[in-house]
Amino acid sequence: MGLREVLTPFTVWKHVFDDPVTIKQPIGRPAAERYRGFHQNDLDTCIGCGTCEAICQNGAIDMVAVAGYDPEKGNSGLKPQIDYGRCCWCALCVDVCMTGSLTMSNEYTWVDTDPDAFRFVPGLEEPWKDDEEGYEREGKRVLSGIERIHMEEMEPEARIGNFDEIVAGYSRAEAILEADRCVECGLCVATCPAHMSIPDYIAAVRDQDYDRGLQLLYETNPFSEVCGRVCTHKCEGSCAALHEGDPIAIRWLKRHIIDEVPFDRRIELIGQPAEPTGRKVAIIGAGPAGLTAAFDLARAGHGVVVYEALAHAGGMMRYGIPEYRLPYDALDRDIGVIEAMGVEIRTNCRVGRDVTMDELRRDHDAVVLTIGLHMGRSTRVPGTEGAGVEKAVDLLRRITDGEKVPLAEQIVVIGGGNVAMDIARSMARLQKAEFGKVGITLTALEDIDHFLADPEEVVESREEGVKIFDARGPQEVMRDAEGKVTGLRTWRVKSIFDAEGRFAPAYDQSDERVHAGSMVIEAIGQAADTSLLGAALTEALEWNRGRIKIDTAFRTSEPWLFAAGDAVKGPDVISAVADGHRVARTVMEKLAAREVAQ
Amino acid sequence: MRDIHALLKQRHRLGPLEPRKGGLAFVTVPRENLRGLLLELRDTHGFTHLVLLTAVDWMEDGLFQLTYMLNNRGRDLTLGIRVMIDREEAQGDTIHDMWPTAATYQRELKEMFGIDFPGSPRLDEEFILEGWTDLPPYRRDFDSLAYSQQTYAERPGRVTHDPREYMKSKLYPDGV
Repeated sequence: MGLREVLTPFTVWKHVFDDPVTIKQPIGRPAAERYRGFHQNDLDTCIGCGTCEAICQNGAIDMVAVAGYDPEKGNSGLKPQIDYGRCCWCALCVDVCMTGSLTMSNEYTWVDTDPDAFRFVPGLEEPWKDDEEGYEREGKRVLSGIERIHMEEMEPEARIGNFDEIVAGYSRAEAILEADRCVECGLCVATCPAHMSIPDYIAAVRDQDYDRGLQLLYETNPFSEVCGRVCTHKCEGSCAALHEGDPIAIRWLKRHIIDEVPFDRRIELIGQPAEPTGRKVAIIGAGPAGLTAAFDLARAGHGVVVYEALAHAGGMMRYGIPEYRLPYDALDRDIGVIEAMGVEIRTNCRVGRDVTMDELRRDHDAVVLTIGLHMGRSTRVPGTEGAGVEKAVDLLRRITDGEKVPLAEQIVVIGGGNVAMDIARSMARLQKAEFGKVGITLTALEDIDHFLADPEEVVESREEGVKIFDARGPQEVMRDAEGKVTGLRTWRVKSIFDAEGRFAPAYDQSDERVHAGSMVIEAIGQAADTSLLGAALTEALEWNRGRIKIDTAFRTSEPWLFAAGDAVKGPDVISAVADGHRVARTVMEKLAAREVAQ
Repeated sequence: MRDIHALLKQRHRLGPLEPRKGGLAFVTVPRENLRGLLLELRDTHGFTHLVLLTAVDWMEDGLFQLTYMLNNRGRDLTLGIRVMIDREEAQGDTIHDMWPTAATYQRELKEMFGIDFPGSPRLDEEFILEGWTDLPPYRRDFDSLAYSQQTYAERPGRVTHDPREYMKSKLYPDGV
């Protein structure tokens, strides 16, 4: 060590009377603008998905209930509580937050003698909860992709002349990418009427374990071929991913699993039903509710016979939904699995004609009524009686049966629901094949933002040349001197419901239009054909505004008769599936109770 | 940068040049060629500054990637040189004799990834982890959450809820 090194330190003495450069009171000194300090959470934006908890590498976050925030569609109501004894301020929770509600203030100093004070729910009452400074991620979340993997669909020009299926389905590579976007929060499960294990089967896609995926599907839904294509997919409206991007394509991923598992393998994976119990259940109507109930009952070992009036099983899935949305062979595979469980389906067997209710009651331990809504309703405006006016459900049924249906070059459809879209698009295809061009006008009471049809149905209808006139109320089917239909006269709708919420459309009569066409199709709703019950049973049953009255467990007022599906509840396939499970459970409880009694 | 790449490509078996924005580019080189390349870049082409040395764990491929960032101050060029090494063997060649600061980087890589650099000074002295006995924490098979749960005591009284189960208990408790 030289002399210089020894003397140098003493040179600093010249600063001994300078102002100090350090800060006397470090507490209270503001941090940098983007410093990662205590968290902030906008509780009204937070959906309680728990993704912050899942990503935290320190186990610092708990999801807890907070007064005033209850579970609702797409929102668990839970909020993150952070233990700052564990938090390392890495901000992964902020970067992954699905809504962007979780951010960080730049507040980092806080003194307290109570260690539990450092464990709290951000966003309630901390002084910094509304501070502007601090860390928030720039732009949208990037840890899980925000864009849905594109689904290949047939172009409008290619699909309009035929009934070929439009949606191609994902390849494995596409499905893995889409499944990868799911954070498995499970907010969707509550929304699904059948409460399918959505996050689990999406994880199975990601893990490429299709056997497991299929088993998960069948735990809650024997109609995945169908629901993978035509489900109303309300789950996607509850998806955490939709807050900053596209929701996960849950419906397409379900279809992907079923696409990947061959028919025979499905039966193998589900396994054999339980030993026969000797009990027998009759089910009337081979639609989604009836067949789901049949599946559950048969799995439990009960003998099930399904009585179906039409030539094929499937109900509205076959006779209502057009082939371009749901090919019949896909439906047949779902039904085939159910039959493989020992369910007997007697088609062309109309109760009331080929077999009576009394016989069913006598020969079975229980009877389940799942007859759906197959009778089209009429607007009953002047001119609807007579040739040239058809009901959508009748036409759809006849198209499925391969019959030649009445056709015209210009057709007016009344209705804005999915059935209206189905018939408009089916007739458009027939027109294209017959006349080489589409001539469909669709009028609906609702304005376009409140259509009951799925938005993609509206989009695809328009792509296929259907002209939509929204907020138009039908007044008269116009006919010429010979009685031939010439068009539909409508008024503009001012409001559909009155102050009490009752259906009572109000019109602006000055805004009148005549939609030309030589055929009018009514698609304004359906009713159940309950004539099969016969006078005595109809009299004996309790009714609720034209529908058979059921309790929450799907029991009618007759102890041997149960009812489920569209005829008593609705409104879609997945709800019918859920109802099917519930009514099967009730029937099994009844059978078990009787077992004990004997 | 392209000129340098063209010149050195054959001699040092360089992979294709991957230009990024500005004066930044990357290139991959076999481990045997690394020291020769670095020496020539430093002494002949003006890349006198070792900006950093870091690693990436490509666990699925069984590889570690070493990235040597060199800077040519005169021409404002930065070249990232990648060397892929076996993850099981996890051994690199020390360059502390070319840049003394590399010893510190190598010590860090030994501690955080478990990558050995035989001959590097003070390589096995603790760098920032004290008394570490687990897997090197930057290896991707190191489970941070499990470690933190084992290592740090949980304050009593913590309760959490799974959103899906919580919604079920509140909205459809009997499952339908």
